[in-house]
Amino acid sequence: MFHVSFRYIFGIPPLILVLLPVASSDCDIGGKDGRVYQNVLMISIDDLDSMIDFDSNCLNNESNFFKKHSCGDNKEASFLYRAARKLKQFPKMNNSEDFNFHLSRVSQGTLQLLNCSSKEENKSVKEQKKLNDLCFLKILLQKIKTCWNKILRGAKEH
Amino acid sequence: MTILGTALGLVFYLLQVVSGESGYAENGDFDDAELDDYSFSCYSQLEVNGSQHLLTCAFDDPDVNSTNLEFEICGALLDVNCLSFNKLQEMYFIKTKKFLLIGDSEICVKLERKSMTCRKMNIVKIVKPEAPFDVRVIYREAANDFVVTFNTSHLRKKYVKELMHEVAYRQEKKENNWMHVNLSSTKLMLLQRNLQPDAMYEIKVRSIPDTNYFEGFWSEWSPSFHFRTPETSIRGQMDPVALTISILSFFSVALVVILACVLWKKRIKPMVWPSLPDHKKTLEQLCKKPKKNLNVSFNPESFLDCQIHKVDGIQARDEAEGFLQDPLPSQPEESEKRRLREGMQGPNWPSEHPVFTPKTFIGESPFRCLAGNISVCDAPVLPSSRSPDCREGGKNGPLVHQDLLLGPGTTNSTLPSPFPFQSGILTLNPAAQGQPTLTSLGSSQEEAYVTMSSFYQNQ
Repeated sequence: MFHVSFRYIFGIPPLILVLLPVASSDCDIGGKDGRVYQNVLMISIDDLDSMIDFDSNCLNNESNFFKKHSCGDNKEASFLYRAARKLKQFPKMNNSEDFNFHLSRVSQGTLQLLNCSSKEENKSVKEQKKLNDLCFLKILLQKIKTCWNKILRGAKEH
Repeated sequence: MTILGTALGLVFYLLQVVSGESGYAENGDFDDAELDDYSFSCYSQLEVNGSQHLLTCAFDDPDVNSTNLEFEICGALLDVNCLSFNKLQEMYFIKTKKFLLIGDSEICVKLERKSMTCRKMNIVKIVKPEAPFDVRVIYREAANDFVVTFNTSHLRKKYVKELMHEVAYRQEKKENNWMHVNLSSTKLMLLQRNLQPDAMYEIKVRSIPDTNYFEGFWSEWSPSFHFRTPETSIRGQMDPVALTISILSFFSVALVVILACVLWKKRIKPMVWPSLPDHKKTLEQLCKKPKKNLNVSFNPESFLDCQIHKVDGIQARDEAEGFLQDPLPSQPEESEKRRLREGMQGPNWPSEHPVFTPKTFIGESPFRCLAGNISVCDAPVLPSSRSPDCREGGKNGPLVHQDLLLGPGTTNSTLPSPFPFQSGILTLNPAAQGQPTLTSLGSSQEEAYVTMSSFYQNQ
């Protein structure tokens, strides 16, 4: 009755069930064929990148956001979701209408492609913090672009 | 009762008719005839003014009273939920940068804030490109073709950059006979041979989105361009100078070929492939043939032996002259000739050898040859190869006169008077020393003996 095999039968499956939500993604991403990203989002990201003045110190500024979140395997959708939410928090610039529209298009367009659970949304709500750092924005846009390329590469391989 | 029933029937009938005309429908599908009048269609134009986009809608039925009708778009917009259209005559349009360009939007016709009809549309799927412009046609004489070029504003746009263009052209005389060509670039080549010469043509261009994301409708036609094709009276007419040169060249080549064929054997081949001269034939040609019936041959088989006789002395000259005046002896009998020949053959010839000299031959009878005495016999021609040997010898040695040029049958003919007579009659010494070196005569009696010295003498 108390054979060692019982540990494996009754111990491991619950462990798997507990860990499964941690490993799995809460978001499902659409547009993996790349058409939306290449024809709309990438154009806005490139325009925003060209509008932001490049500062040599930008790359050295490692925000906590990037320490916490990264475009890891099976976490691409989550990262994009959080990045898009971060973009949405960015304040509008008064002197550039195009900048604001491009920013909105990237964030809103990314969110429209993602189908995330309410759990993920709650996590993002907690991290709301107004940012006015163009350097952070530039890095964030680059990370978003890199993550999209990773998703499309993975979709091509499959 | 009857009247009551009829009245009720009429009332119900009227109610139904009235309710149908009012547009009320329970199913909500708005399939009423009045709702059908509000059918509309829209098209979008992206980046029509900088980064501003244009969305245009219009009713399909031009007779619709659009006085109080409005259009509204909701969804797939940036930072807003809905946007209202502007009205311009019978057209409704909206010019904005707030299109998300991702996902579907809903466009509704509103009458006093009440949605009459709505349609779900995707802005990126109803794109109508701007019409091309600046159509030009340039004729290239060297290539015999027409280069058609045109311009489009989409080359400088960020979203709808890739288009499919359609070029249509026709001869102006022929109505509705348009030729269509599809291309993705803004340059087209039309071959001259596909067009009528000296004709007026009309050409125009339109475009449609050709990406995997943006779709839509054909643009408006570009303004037409008119051009005239050049005259070509004869297809492939050549330049007169070139034609003359080509004709002359042809005739020259033909003349050269004919001359080559005619003069090949006689002139050309000997120069190109000269034949090596044959030394024997050349020699024969150089030397004169001495007389008729004289066989000259270098065939070793026909070489005749040189008769060498030993002699002791030479008789006086006078006797020889006397012989010359006498007529030539008659032809000796064949038997005696044969015997003479037989007697002369063989290495072990007896000591007394007959010696043939021209003088003795003239004066004496040939029968004396048999006896071994000096006699004039009918002698054949001696071969020239033995001549050096024949000339050798002194008084005691064998000596043979070599200056014999007698052929078969010459015994009957008279020798020419200037016959050189310088040698005397030789006598044979039976005791002559040494062995005579006598070789045999040729097989034919009629063959003349000819030596090389005779050749030189005759020359």
